[in-house]
Amino acid sequence: MDSFRTLIPYLRLHRGQYVIGLIAVVIANSVNLLPYYFIRLTIDGLTGQVDGDPATTGIALGTAGLYALGIVAAALVAGGFMLLMRRMIVVASRQTEYEIRRDLFAHLQGLDKPYYDRARTGDLMNRLTGDLSAVREMLGFGAWQIVNIVSGFITAFSVMFSLSWQLTLIVLALVPVIVGVLTYLARQINVRHRLAQEQNSLIAAKAQENFSGARVVKGYAIENREIDDYRAMNLELLRRNIALTRVDGPLRSFMSLLLGLAFGLILLVGGRLILAPDSTFTVGMFVQFVGTLERLTFPMLMVGWITGVTQRGLASWLRLKEIFDSQALVRDEPGRTDPTLRTVRGDVTFENVTVRYGDKTVLNDVNLHIPAGTFLGITGPTGSGKTVLGQLLTRSMDPTGGRVLVDGHDVRVIPLRTLRDAVSVVPQEPFLFSDTIANNIGLGLDNRDLPPVLTGVSVVGAPPPDDIPQQPDPARVREAARLAGLTEDVDGFPQGFGTMLGERGVTLSGGQRQRTAIARALVREPRILLLDDSLSAVDTETERRILDGLREVSRGRTVILIAHRVSTLRHADQIVVLEDGRVTEQGSHDALLAQNGHYAQLERLQRLASDLDADETPSDEQAPRDLAAPLDPEAAADRLPAAPTPEQVNR
Amino acid sequence: MTRPDASDAFQKGFDTQLTRRILHYVRPYLPLVIGGVLLALLISLAAPVFALIQRHAIDAYLSPLALRTEPDLDLLRRGLTGAALLYMGLKVVEFALQYAFTLAIGYLGQNVLRDIRADVFGKLQRLPLSYFDQNPVGRLITRVTSDVDAINQFITGGLVSLIQSSFIIVVYVVIMLSVNWQLALISFTVLPVLFLATNYFRARLRDAFRETRTQQATVNSKLNENITGMLTVQLFGRERRSALDFNLSNRALLSANENSVKWFSLFMPVVAVLGQVAVALILYFAARQILGVDASGAVAGAITVGTLFAFVQLSQQLFQPIQDLADVFNNLQAAMASSERIFGVLDTEESITDKPDARSLTNFEGRVDFRNVWFAYDQTVTADTPDTDERWILRGIDLHIRPGESVALVGATGAGKTSVTALVSRFYDVQRGSVNVDGTDVRDLAQHDLRRHVGVVLQDVFLFAGTIESNLTLNNPDIPHERVIEACRYVGVHEYILSLEHGYQTEVRERGATLSTGQKQLLAFARALIQNPDILLVLDEATANVDTETELRIQQALKRVMQGRTSIIIAHRLSTIEHCDRIVVMRRGHIVEQGSHHQLLEKGGYYARLHRLQYAQADAAD
Repeated sequence: MDSFRTLIPYLRLHRGQYVIGLIAVVIANSVNLLPYYFIRLTIDGLTGQVDGDPATTGIALGTAGLYALGIVAAALVAGGFMLLMRRMIVVASRQTEYEIRRDLFAHLQGLDKPYYDRARTGDLMNRLTGDLSAVREMLGFGAWQIVNIVSGFITAFSVMFSLSWQLTLIVLALVPVIVGVLTYLARQINVRHRLAQEQNSLIAAKAQENFSGARVVKGYAIENREIDDYRAMNLELLRRNIALTRVDGPLRSFMSLLLGLAFGLILLVGGRLILAPDSTFTVGMFVQFVGTLERLTFPMLMVGWITGVTQRGLASWLRLKEIFDSQALVRDEPGRTDPTLRTVRGDVTFENVTVRYGDKTVLNDVNLHIPAGTFLGITGPTGSGKTVLGQLLTRSMDPTGGRVLVDGHDVRVIPLRTLRDAVSVVPQEPFLFSDTIANNIGLGLDNRDLPPVLTGVSVVGAPPPDDIPQQPDPARVREAARLAGLTEDVDGFPQGFGTMLGERGVTLSGGQRQRTAIARALVREPRILLLDDSLSAVDTETERRILDGLREVSRGRTVILIAHRVSTLRHADQIVVLEDGRVTEQGSHDALLAQNGHYAQLERLQRLASDLDADETPSDEQAPRDLAAPLDPEAAADRLPAAPTPEQVNR
Repeated sequence: MTRPDASDAFQKGFDTQLTRRILHYVRPYLPLVIGGVLLALLISLAAPVFALIQRHAIDAYLSPLALRTEPDLDLLRRGLTGAALLYMGLKVVEFALQYAFTLAIGYLGQNVLRDIRADVFGKLQRLPLSYFDQNPVGRLITRVTSDVDAINQFITGGLVSLIQSSFIIVVYVVIMLSVNWQLALISFTVLPVLFLATNYFRARLRDAFRETRTQQATVNSKLNENITGMLTVQLFGRERRSALDFNLSNRALLSANENSVKWFSLFMPVVAVLGQVAVALILYFAARQILGVDASGAVAGAITVGTLFAFVQLSQQLFQPIQDLADVFNNLQAAMASSERIFGVLDTEESITDKPDARSLTNFEGRVDFRNVWFAYDQTVTADTPDTDERWILRGIDLHIRPGESVALVGATGAGKTSVTALVSRFYDVQRGSVNVDGTDVRDLAQHDLRRHVGVVLQDVFLFAGTIESNLTLNNPDIPHERVIEACRYVGVHEYILSLEHGYQTEVRERGATLSTGQKQLLAFARALIQNPDILLVLDEATANVDTETELRIQQALKRVMQGRTSIIIAHRLSTIEHCDRIVVMRRGHIVEQGSHHQLLEKGGYYARLHRLQYAQADAAD
């Protein structure tokens, strides 16, 4: 129940709808009992007419007609209120679902890299889909069903009691048994349904694995074993589904059996009441009694379900709450953050910076000064901490010890917005969106003046959202693409810059993706440009062109370039060699060559390599191959990480 | 890719040929079908009896008509008891019938589902690798999941309810007409309206639900993309734009949902009101007939109160089958589209098949010969395609490998190295020339046989759900545990496996995401060793993220695995290449150089330069 309290703010947003809806349920439930009342009056009138006894009152055809109209009128009123209820409560639950989803999304946007390093996308997706549905079901279906059950029972029992207390007692004795049995069945169905679903997912996973591993399956000729496995799993599914059918299939007929038995008893006892001398219990009342009892079928059936819906809903809400409760470590903090810092020149200093993951030291007391407008090259073996250095600068994480200063301010003081507007990063494996190439390049443009999506407010009465203008300046995009050496590739695509990337469009090669990411960074004209091994999949000729372009635009900007190739690094004002989290060499290209250390060795070896490059132009930078359907399997590794298909997500 | 699937599902009409093929799957369960139909018939015969018992009880024992002339109360009570007991007894019988029916249909549907799935899955196992290159995994999954489910729905929800509903409707119509034809006709007037209304609303709801599903899919994929790319979004200050964009989709989903609620909230009350209109009609016309007859009431066949009550019940019970019937067509339509797709898979031509007289291999030596092989992945390329065509991947490869010889393939990406290995396993068929194993064209060998003798070690070991051990044996129960351990010792991964929580029985999670690259590679070698192939194909990717120690271990393992086997290795590691008997340098589908390490170094060609470069880089990495 405690978990329910935290949901109340969302319920409060739709208080009016819930109140009106619930009242509508009560009215509909009461009015629903009228038709059998009219039937009773008609039957009693008719029996009075034909029994030939002048003492009993008869009925005129006109009156019977009125009763018939009354039945229709009652049905219309009840139906109208049910319609009202659905449009209030069910719609409110959908709106709440929207609001929670909207707010979760906003919250997720505020969480930092450490959170996303821990969280698994699949798990988050499950919460945002399955758990959210469960909460919505509790708020919509659950809410009106609870009121429906309560008011249904109360109204029906008052009517039945007024007709015959004896029969009502029988029903009262039977109802708990019926509800108990149905609740038990509902629980069984739940359990078995889950078992069947689990097996279903296993089978789907098996198929998925088999299809994506077709190369292994065929390579080792294990098709028959796979088929046997798959058949065995399906047999198990059949078993579980039949087990489910055993309890689930006959639910409705079981209900009809239980009610039938109740009816038999009522016929037995009620009949005797009618036959009793001086009886006030009439055939009409008997019919009304039976009809009213029938109205309880659905509520009785629902008692068992509603507990499940509520339990699931509350448990799911707790899981959503967990997301809401997680806080970013890296964030602006009032008191610490200085909102007056709006611009950045680009002077960067690492001051005794140490980073530890657990007991593993990634950066060890690094000191480094990069004056504004200079070009720093960083190199070093894999795992030496180069990437982490970059992540500290963008405040993707904070150091364990020491400080990172930009323009003399600790980055923790600079508003994140200011910092990230000033720094553009090109990662080694860039993430591109399923959007047009132009929009991918313009990712960081024109975002500043957009209005925020309000959270914690009701969607009721909110105007439909405007289309967001997504038209990054084509001239700027084209210029950035040119600098990144991407123009030719893009011109080769069917829709040029309007070509979609990803599943519904083209897949780019590794080099093309890197160059798109470079264009995406350049177009922002950042004060600090950080390239993290982002030319690794680009051939040397293209690399040279890109570097020329970079020099062209990087005048006055701070450039930090992480790379393995000396040809990439040589023009840097300052080159740093990182090894095991420490700066081991530092100086200009010539100075480092003179030192005859790691860098000098690297240079020697790569000079040898360039002789070879002169002869062999690698062919992996040819765009057309990416467009051809059957790919060289080797190229498959170059593709965009495929976004899961909707069906995968839904599962 | 799911989009076209979803939309054409609703445009397909009824197709007798497809239906016949679906029914073919039902045939093995004919007794079940016949039993089910009989049960359905019995159930529909039993259903109206309850209302008739009630009618009898009211008219014979409870109505004042019965009480009018010197009633024998005892007799009436006994009759009443009899009726009540009969009623309850029949309810039990009805329940038993219904239960048996449900189980029979469930059993039928599940079995058909299983059979179709097995067929589709089996077919997919026989289809060549090129089929998997062309069809995204998601689409294939849909075939064995939702498409098969739709056919199951067609049988259990479509055909069965068609039969059952028709039975019930016929029986009810006959009984109601025979009890009182005037009243029957009057209560029937509502049914066409009900049918049309149900049909109308179901169509609207179907459209609305389809729209919700589409919108939900959009929301989900945007969520997924934003979560995966959240750090990029943050670094580029795109939070607000992303939020606005997501809000658009989120709102669209809300609107779609509200639209569904709109139709649904109308649909239910309309059905309820129609039900009460039927009751009102019956009530009024029954009253008119009753009041119309003369007051003594002794007219034979006149409506009684019991009849009135029975008609109220019967007319309500007719509603469900009418609604079911209106629904049948929706199920049929969805099933048509799905079955067409499924049969599309089943009818796919298996381009790589065993010849009827395919030879099986008994004594395997391991000789491999490529004779003037021309090959392209593009299947529109034929033997007649000109040599200059861009699509050729291999252009006249002649390569002869002796049993036990180890050959390293060297060359840039796209040179055709992978294709060479894929052709030895006959994953694809060549357009010109032939690939021979032990002197026999691979196209004349049984695929299974061939592949059992050819082991492939992929760059990235593909791990299945299961334990480490089941991944090594590939679920072959005949492989003894000792052999697994022996192999793992041999490649040097035994200690590592033992260090895991459950040793060899440790469950592989998330396709081995927790394993390092080096460990995966060693597992791949162990797997290949355990399968003990005569020809070994190794796709060996020099990986950056392997520490020196693991690197050494991998090299050692590879050397050992190669021993005494014909090996074709796509090698990036110099040490591996050096240890091979022969090095074949490929460029753009041609072999440009071949010979031993020393021969090629002396020759001073492409390989010699490559060698200098790689040595340089290898040193630099340390």
